[in-house]
Amino acid sequence: MAPRRGITRRRFLQTTAVAAAGLAAPKGFAAQAPDLKLKKPIKIGCQTILSGPLGGYGEFMRKGATLAMEQVNAAGGIGGSPVEMSFRDEELKVDVGVKNARYFVDDWGADFLIGIDSSAVALAVGEIMPTLNKVLIVTHGATEKFNEDLVYKRHVRQCFRVCVPVYQDGIASALVAKDLPVKKWATISPDYEYGHTSWKMFRAYLKRFKPDVEFVGESFAKFGTVDFSSHISKVMGLNPEGIFSTEWGGEAVTMVKQAKLFKVFEQTKAFMIGMGSAMDVLQGLGADYPDGTWASGRYYFGYPDTPENKKFVADFRKRWDTYPSYPSETAYTAVYALKKAVEKAKSIDTEKVIEALEGLELDRPAGKCVIRKEDHQAVYAVPWGQITHDPRFPMPTLKNLKVFTTDEYYRKPPFAPVEG
Amino acid sequence: MSARAIASAVLALAVLLLPAVAGPFLRYLVLNMLLLALLALSFNLLFGMTGLLSFGQGAFYSGGAYAAALLLRAGVPLLWSILLGAVAAAALAAILGAFCVRHTRIYFSMLTLAFGMLVYAVVWKWTDVTGGDDGLIGIPRGRLGLPGPLDLSLDSPVRYYLFAAVLVLVSMAVLHRLSRSPLGLSLRSIRENAERAEFSGVRVRRTIYIAFVTAGLFAGLSGALLAPLEQTVSPSTAHWTKSAEPVMATLIGGPFSFLGPILGAVVYLGLKEIIVRFTEYWLLVFGLVLLGCVLTFRSGIVGAVEEAWARRRRA
Amino acid sequence: MYLWLVAAGLSLIFGVMRVLNFAHGSLYMLGAYFAWVAFRVSGSFWVALLAGPLLVAAAGWAMEFGFLRRVYSAPEAFQLLLTFAFVLMLDDVVKLAFGPVYQSPPTPAALSGAVMIGRSILPTYHLFILGVGGLVGLGLWLFLEKTSFGLVIRATAADREMARALGVRSSRLFTWVFVLGAWLAGLGGALSMPVRAISPGMGEFIIIEAFVVVVLGGLGSLRGAFLGSVLIGLLHAYGLLFMPVFELALGYMAMALVLIVRPWGLFGVREG
Repeated sequence: MAPRRGITRRRFLQTTAVAAAGLAAPKGFAAQAPDLKLKKPIKIGCQTILSGPLGGYGEFMRKGATLAMEQVNAAGGIGGSPVEMSFRDEELKVDVGVKNARYFVDDWGADFLIGIDSSAVALAVGEIMPTLNKVLIVTHGATEKFNEDLVYKRHVRQCFRVCVPVYQDGIASALVAKDLPVKKWATISPDYEYGHTSWKMFRAYLKRFKPDVEFVGESFAKFGTVDFSSHISKVMGLNPEGIFSTEWGGEAVTMVKQAKLFKVFEQTKAFMIGMGSAMDVLQGLGADYPDGTWASGRYYFGYPDTPENKKFVADFRKRWDTYPSYPSETAYTAVYALKKAVEKAKSIDTEKVIEALEGLELDRPAGKCVIRKEDHQAVYAVPWGQITHDPRFPMPTLKNLKVFTTDEYYRKPPFAPVEG
Repeated sequence: MSARAIASAVLALAVLLLPAVAGPFLRYLVLNMLLLALLALSFNLLFGMTGLLSFGQGAFYSGGAYAAALLLRAGVPLLWSILLGAVAAAALAAILGAFCVRHTRIYFSMLTLAFGMLVYAVVWKWTDVTGGDDGLIGIPRGRLGLPGPLDLSLDSPVRYYLFAAVLVLVSMAVLHRLSRSPLGLSLRSIRENAERAEFSGVRVRRTIYIAFVTAGLFAGLSGALLAPLEQTVSPSTAHWTKSAEPVMATLIGGPFSFLGPILGAVVYLGLKEIIVRFTEYWLLVFGLVLLGCVLTFRSGIVGAVEEAWARRRRA
Repeated sequence: MYLWLVAAGLSLIFGVMRVLNFAHGSLYMLGAYFAWVAFRVSGSFWVALLAGPLLVAAAGWAMEFGFLRRVYSAPEAFQLLLTFAFVLMLDDVVKLAFGPVYQSPPTPAALSGAVMIGRSILPTYHLFILGVGGLVGLGLWLFLEKTSFGLVIRATAADREMARALGVRSSRLFTWVFVLGAWLAGLGGALSMPVRAISPGMGEFIIIEAFVVVVLGGLGSLRGAFLGSVLIGLLHAYGLLFMPVFELALGYMAMALVLIVRPWGLFGVREG
């Protein structure tokens, strides 16, 4: 291995402004590696859900972040300093999330914070970021309030987000739906702000593209719903032609299994699940995932078909013996984004890193991405696709990928309120 | 002054002087311990003294937190928001207590659990008022609300720590007096034998009701102090998993002494903080600790210490 | 229907032993996990359905014999807290053993059809669960009414002191009752295994639901547990149709209402 690494490094050094990041690091993330002579490791605190029914997310996020850390350190760290990471369980609870953030910064000495699955926790931690004054990069929490309210309207500049927000579930979905032969939609979604907002966005935007569409029913299921029968019966009783859902994690698995038993997939022309391409859902459902179901996420390992993405997937599989889920990619990107920003700013000072992150262009496994200056939201395209069972893979995968330009579905400042 | 009083005074002083020696996270942790201790004391007013296990203190904790948060957002000065928040929680306890105190033991516990989760459900869904599952964020700390030069701003974390610590210590003193008062004696007699208490003139139901409302008041105070600390309030404050915290803290520390819940709160949060640094499997370690406490230290750490002390004196 | 099985076990344990087993949801979770392991090992759903609950019964035995029986003489609160300690531990044990990701085997082909009833669709699997639940219910009834052991259980549930005075060895009785209750919970878990995601923490949701059912039906009454689960099911379905805003609160409202008005539930026994 070692000689190969040496040759590759030399070759990289010979390329233009791109310095070596070692064989381990993907070309897209290789950047100038100045030695900042910090004399201390760079500490990144990551919090994610590690317990309970949604614990799978945390696992995947941790794997992605750890892979990034190992690769970065193998290539000399960030600005010559090694990266240290610490992981904590956010437990989906706001008070725990805030305590973790304070612990990371005040006690552990974190220079940067990443992670966070729950939208509510993201908002609460965002509130105290001005006090803590470190950069926070959210890698999963998807509420639009984070970038539209917190960053854009209220100028909490320490906050950034590297994963696509609810626009993917609420607007890109409408772009797919408008071409489907479905006139009557209904939803079974989780009963919290996210579930309601995504459905509202879907309705508002689909109506714009296809004015003759009808929304015949909705049912919102509380967290921890084990028996979706009543929800399914209620919704199917209204004869929808298509079902839209933003159920995620284990609950998506449960819902799809039960919907299948109720023959929902045979009685409807389309079924869309916003976070249905998460690896844990794909693996959890396996053969029970009906072909043709529309699914999306925040990253799909099969898109884009670039060497960088292929390398990331291969590295991930080699390291963890499983395909990456989307929190893996977003956490991985967060670490690399910090690397790029710190080396560009030549400092770990919060204000300088903020300036470096604003407008930063990244070549991440998910493709080319830009972190918008106005709301610190990373803009990149994620596909919607249809479930298929390809024998080459141990889990269901997506085919018939539909990708839209980010212009078509990312909301832009000044962020008018969503109608409906 | 007795040894106990001196020791208490020393501890109180240590708490107040903490910011001078400790970093921000330790300060934050200790403040959380103080708030949990207050919550546990409110719980133990019912449990340790009356024998009634309330699984719904979270209802009053969150009631106080949300009330204070809404008042602060409306511009009411800090001290009044907090006190009124506690009063709001007490009002809630007054209503719910009317139903709860008619029952005993298991039924009481189940009813408090049901009420606690009902409050949780209301808070979760009533988005217009409570912010729903996102909770209320951006709660301002504002100014103290005392006249003249005392009208300080408590934005500084050290100042807020001192303010909250003072309120908690004062509450502890009040609760201590209460436990020594005729009301406290009545409560303890009810725990021993409710029938006998009734016969000796104690109005059992009314006494329990007073204890219930008082417990609600102090639980609400604890919650009200939380709101400006985190500047965020969320529905998890009403969930039964929050209500379980004072239960566990009291059991670990010992329900049969005043110090028990306080010690238990310190141990609970301290232990959790330490465990979490080493392993993510903190539930397992916690469960083992709880198991150990239930199987061996029936009267918690305080009880075990007292027993060991008594044994040594006898020997 | 698995709610009924879990609630029945909970009610039984409470009725006889006066212990409110917080860990009953965790036993349900173990049922799902053990059944899944049995499925992976044997490849047969039926083997899994048989083996899973038996393994949970064994776990229940260990829990009662090793730990619970030490606190019978303690106030009820301590027993509750002991079972709560098990909830915490089992969640992590399961996570350690199986990882936090969700698992779920496919529904057995024979049972994945559906039946049309009028305009509604009823999945075959639901009928299957109803059938199993019904059989188990029948078996329990026969056991309690017709066997001498069942008689002893009912007697102890009705009046513990008297039963003890008459020479009933309560310690062995308690063990068997707990094991039976655990088996019921495990069966509930095993049955639900193919139709939901299995993950650590799944016990916490079902225990609250089971509490609601058992309170409604009456602590200690199996008939009550059955009717309670039916009632809760109806409440959810109709609540969803007519008052979806209250869906989260409905169960707790019913629970509170029953506790206030008629604490011993529909079929429970009034405490002396």
